[in-house]
Amino acid sequence: MARIGVDVGGTNTDLILETSDNDSVGKGIYQHKVPSTTDDQSVAVMQGIIEICEKARINKNEIDHIVHGTTVATNISIEHNGAEVGMLTTKGFRDILHIGRHKRPHNFSLHFDVPWQTSPLVKRRNRIPISERVLPPNGDVETPLDEEEVKAAAEKLKREGVKSVIIGFLYSFLNRDHEIRAKEIVKSIMPDAYVCCSCEVVDAMREYERFSTTAMNAYIGPKTSYYLKHLESELKEQGIHADLRLMQSNGGVATIDSCCEKPVNILMSGPAGGVIGGHYFANLDGEKNIITVDIGGTSADISTLSDGGIKIMNPRDSYVGGHPVMVPMIDLITIGAGGGSVAYVDEAGGFQVGPRSAGSMPGPACYNRGGTEPTVTDANIVLGRLDPDQMLGGDLQVDPALSIEAIREKVAEPLGLSVKDAALGIIKIINNNMALAIRSNSVAKGVDPRDYVLMPFGGAGPVHGPALAEEMNAKAVLCPPAPGITSAAGLLTTNLQYEATRSLLCDLDTISKNDFEKAIVYVNELEEEVTGKLRDDGVDDAHINLIRLAECRYHGQGFELRADVPAGELDQDKLATVIENFHRTHEADYGYRFNDAAVELVTLRVIGTSESKKLTWDTLKEASVDDLKEALMYERKTTFDDGEELLTPRYNRSLLGAGQVIEGPAMLMQHDSTSLVPPGWVAKISAHGNLIISK
Amino acid sequence: MKNNTVDPITLQVISGALDTIAEEMGHVLYRMSFSSIIRESQDLGAGLFDANYQTICESESTPMHIGSIPAYLRGAEQTLQDGEWHEGDVIVHNHPYYGSSHTPDLAIIIPIFYQGELVGFSGNTAHHIDIGAATPGLIIDVGDVYAEGMLFAGLKLYEKGVRNEGLAKMITANSRASNQLMRDIEAQVASAKLGVKRFKELIDRYGKGVTFSAIEQLINYSEKMLRQRIQEVPDGEYRAEGFLDDDGRNRENRLPVVVTVKVEGDSVVVDLTGSAPQTPTAYNVPFEGSCKVAAYAAFRKLLLDACSLEVPIPSNEGSFKPISVVAPKGSIFNPNFPAAAEARFTQCNRMIDLIIKALSPVLPDKVIAGSSASISFASYAGMKEDGDYWVFLEVNEGAYGGRPKSDGPDSIDNLMANTRNNPIEDLGMHLPMICDRYELRDDVMPGAGKHRGGIGVVKSQRVLTPGFITHESERHYDVPWGAFGGKDGAVGKTEIYNYSDSKSIKEMPSKFSGYVTKAGDVMAYYSPCGGGFGDPLERSAEKVREDVLDDFCTVEHAYEVYGVVLDADLRVDVGATEKRRQAAS
Repeated sequence: MARIGVDVGGTNTDLILETSDNDSVGKGIYQHKVPSTTDDQSVAVMQGIIEICEKARINKNEIDHIVHGTTVATNISIEHNGAEVGMLTTKGFRDILHIGRHKRPHNFSLHFDVPWQTSPLVKRRNRIPISERVLPPNGDVETPLDEEEVKAAAEKLKREGVKSVIIGFLYSFLNRDHEIRAKEIVKSIMPDAYVCCSCEVVDAMREYERFSTTAMNAYIGPKTSYYLKHLESELKEQGIHADLRLMQSNGGVATIDSCCEKPVNILMSGPAGGVIGGHYFANLDGEKNIITVDIGGTSADISTLSDGGIKIMNPRDSYVGGHPVMVPMIDLITIGAGGGSVAYVDEAGGFQVGPRSAGSMPGPACYNRGGTEPTVTDANIVLGRLDPDQMLGGDLQVDPALSIEAIREKVAEPLGLSVKDAALGIIKIINNNMALAIRSNSVAKGVDPRDYVLMPFGGAGPVHGPALAEEMNAKAVLCPPAPGITSAAGLLTTNLQYEATRSLLCDLDTISKNDFEKAIVYVNELEEEVTGKLRDDGVDDAHINLIRLAECRYHGQGFELRADVPAGELDQDKLATVIENFHRTHEADYGYRFNDAAVELVTLRVIGTSESKKLTWDTLKEASVDDLKEALMYERKTTFDDGEELLTPRYNRSLLGAGQVIEGPAMLMQHDSTSLVPPGWVAKISAHGNLIISK
Repeated sequence: MKNNTVDPITLQVISGALDTIAEEMGHVLYRMSFSSIIRESQDLGAGLFDANYQTICESESTPMHIGSIPAYLRGAEQTLQDGEWHEGDVIVHNHPYYGSSHTPDLAIIIPIFYQGELVGFSGNTAHHIDIGAATPGLIIDVGDVYAEGMLFAGLKLYEKGVRNEGLAKMITANSRASNQLMRDIEAQVASAKLGVKRFKELIDRYGKGVTFSAIEQLINYSEKMLRQRIQEVPDGEYRAEGFLDDDGRNRENRLPVVVTVKVEGDSVVVDLTGSAPQTPTAYNVPFEGSCKVAAYAAFRKLLLDACSLEVPIPSNEGSFKPISVVAPKGSIFNPNFPAAAEARFTQCNRMIDLIIKALSPVLPDKVIAGSSASISFASYAGMKEDGDYWVFLEVNEGAYGGRPKSDGPDSIDNLMANTRNNPIEDLGMHLPMICDRYELRDDVMPGAGKHRGGIGVVKSQRVLTPGFITHESERHYDVPWGAFGGKDGAVGKTEIYNYSDSKSIKEMPSKFSGYVTKAGDVMAYYSPCGGGFGDPLERSAEKVREDVLDDFCTVEHAYEVYGVVLDADLRVDVGATEKRRQAAS
């Protein structure tokens, strides 16, 4: 069984190939890296897949599975270049998306931005009110859907060239008929448009959050699904018939079809792989408290993992670009800081680094691809922290003279600094920017970094590790065995996962016969839905694991907590268990239970997972006495943070065994990554090849 | 202990931990509570306070609560049941002449004892839907503070850990929404208990000395940051005035608001002398718990704008210290006991708006044009089939004035308000009410300007059963001001009509109490629109066109006020626009 993990970053596309004994080439792990193609990510993905197969000398048609982490959807939301979306909404409520929850992002500010007003997902001109009215609490129709108005709206949107349309009517979680019918009409007039109903994307009460999630889905939908379909057909054309899967924001993987339907689930696909990968490698050595910092060419993704767990945000707290998106996501933050971050002097004479990146084209000045602006990579070259002849193991030709020239011209001379001091300044500023972001995800939440290991990875991570750890006061640095492909490896360590929800509001203590029957039917339908998806993925029923949840609250509260629903068909006993489970969860979370209050069901949720085969990462051979001597490549000068220039040995990391201790100053060289051990620090290689650097 | 400076890392960690404790307290309170005014609107505050009643940290919920709890604590000290704090006590307090913000905002306060010593307080405030006032929910047209409902002053709901069942029973017996009131109080207790627990854990971890040194350093830091900004404002006296519609009873009697900002060195005095005398209704502002708090908030917005700071300043006592407030006794901002003082929000918001206006000559790049500076606080109530009352409190938004670099945000909570709306669907599922309209206003244009004013909201709520509406609002007469050549905004209005006959509209005053509704009555609230900032002729023609495409602006308004000529396909006629703009300037 041969599996590829392919992770697209802003600068590089990283790949890992794991083969087993059954494959023609036998058991093995291969890594590869190609420059990302930002206009169409699939070009680099295809190139990488073909090349890694060639590298492993395996026939392409032997590949069974490809798991893909993509930033396609994320980039659309960041760059705000999604589809022009049209919306049909209930008459009288044209501005739900403009008003939001009418709460400002800041209490104490006069000059704040309101992203849902200044960067709307659906412009007001494209929001068309339709006569229709469904009434609470039973979903009765007060005003029937005016089909002529729907037709006229669709025709108007078509004339305007709108290609993506959402239907968002009030109370569609009670009665979805109007939304579904309006969609049919829109589809008949705009057969090629991307059309979705709010009840299909997220079947939940609260109009703004539901409409916003649906709008985000439609905003990123056309481009994302085009990309995914295109990639799928490219693979087939190349004779690769592997199952293609995508990493979702919740850390589980899903099929192309389900992601085309709900691209809103893959908004955090790219960064999620990194967190999962970091978690996997740290776990090999039993590290439970880690801060992952995945530094690529363009951005850094940061997540804090406590007690060995990956934190998933409550969908009620999930925002993307300031817009609520009610889907489960891993708790992480992304900032514009990476190897390609550009250093410059701003109009007011301020010394800035990033968030703009030189990306892979033109890339850092030293790449000699036409870039003249200095980047973080250029600074590392100047300081001797990256060796120009060892970039990608020597595969990447770089010219250090161009780094010096760029730093001199753009930073050192304007600021009256030496080139060395300017380069040190670039590193200091970028490290500080990252440290601030790490703090906001850790210290600002009361996490004491002194109990945590900082885990830098991504090609550009390990060279910054010790300085960041020092800035943060983390207890140590942990560089995983293959820093550049940690995210890609993460893709091969997670499970298939699908979730489905259905809204049903009723008091459980006094549930009516009708609602009770509905609940039974809904749970069955939700189970069938996720089971069906897993079966489509080729999972046997025996391997399907279902988690059934009732999201409840005390009648009158506004926030739901999750209560487990016991397996099997719902009956009165199981219902009593659900009620008791809710009381217990409430007590555990808030320290109080209201025994006399009615428990209200709001949403039923079923999560279906299937254990995938996990990447196996073997232990390293034990270090022997002569390893260090053999691994020594050469010694060169390297400038450290205090400005001191020291003759620093370079070791080939792949020749070092478990238990090896290396004293700083030293550099550990790998194909795509350099780990820095400053003077006064000691590095130790763990049983699984993690490098632990501490003072 | 005082001379020990805490190392920068520990200081940052403690600062982050304190913020997190306050946020967590707020979270528990709104997630656990039952009435929508707390759980959805988040009309609440929560934090930790030291033994001298200084704010250590406070949650980012609504600004009106931030900074009010120290006054509650001082008032509670004066009125404390048996005169002493004991471990396990839980205090309930809401007396407006002993520091409360106003009567419906009940505070729950728990003293924090560490190794037997009183080291501080964990407390929160939340707006309750009914504490037994003369009319359900809100109250305006009453004669004294006793008509506002139950008054709690330093009362112990728990004495040394034992619940005072008599007091609980008394509270339950005196509210039209006793279930929600008592359960929301329990949510407040849970939140305050969490604060106690977390604060003790923090002291366990870092030690009392280090923790309190860090707190002192953080307070000093916030104070220093604000003083530096004040220092940059030229010394002098800056004055602005406006007026309020009426007191909720005497309809023809406009009420002046006069604000004089006196800047001297690194301190500021806000002098409200010249404002209206206290009113005979509840339209008065409790001085300690509301008036001062609004002045603190004004300067934090103006001078420590969270969006222009690279690092946010810690939310603590330091940002209150440089500011003092003067309001003559017997005035609307400092009434004499027993004047009623429940309806105090719009006066506070106008004060902030006028502080901004007063400082506009010296802070042209920091101030903004006139905002709605009002609020719409509506109480809908009726009787359920079983004879119990239902009560719903709704906060409606306003709009901002145009700003030096951007348009005023539309339809958003303004200045001192920052609640969240109640989802329409949640409302309809639980109460006999239907929302008929929730959109931007299209009956008026916002203040034109290089950066236009924000557009106000229109919200129409229909009641399905007979009942009562009380509405606290403002600005039906005094238009939000345009700044630096910008045009004035638009006043608000409130209408009531029946769903069966939407043509027979009754125009309502901005404030009214206990209006008796029939089934199917609809109240439509139109909030004021913000004033413009800068000359409208300087707004880019393309931006004006975009506004027309989005129906934020009509073709006629674009021509008349902005001097932008659009053709039949709504494209800018560049030549004609240039001519029109030249003629207009």
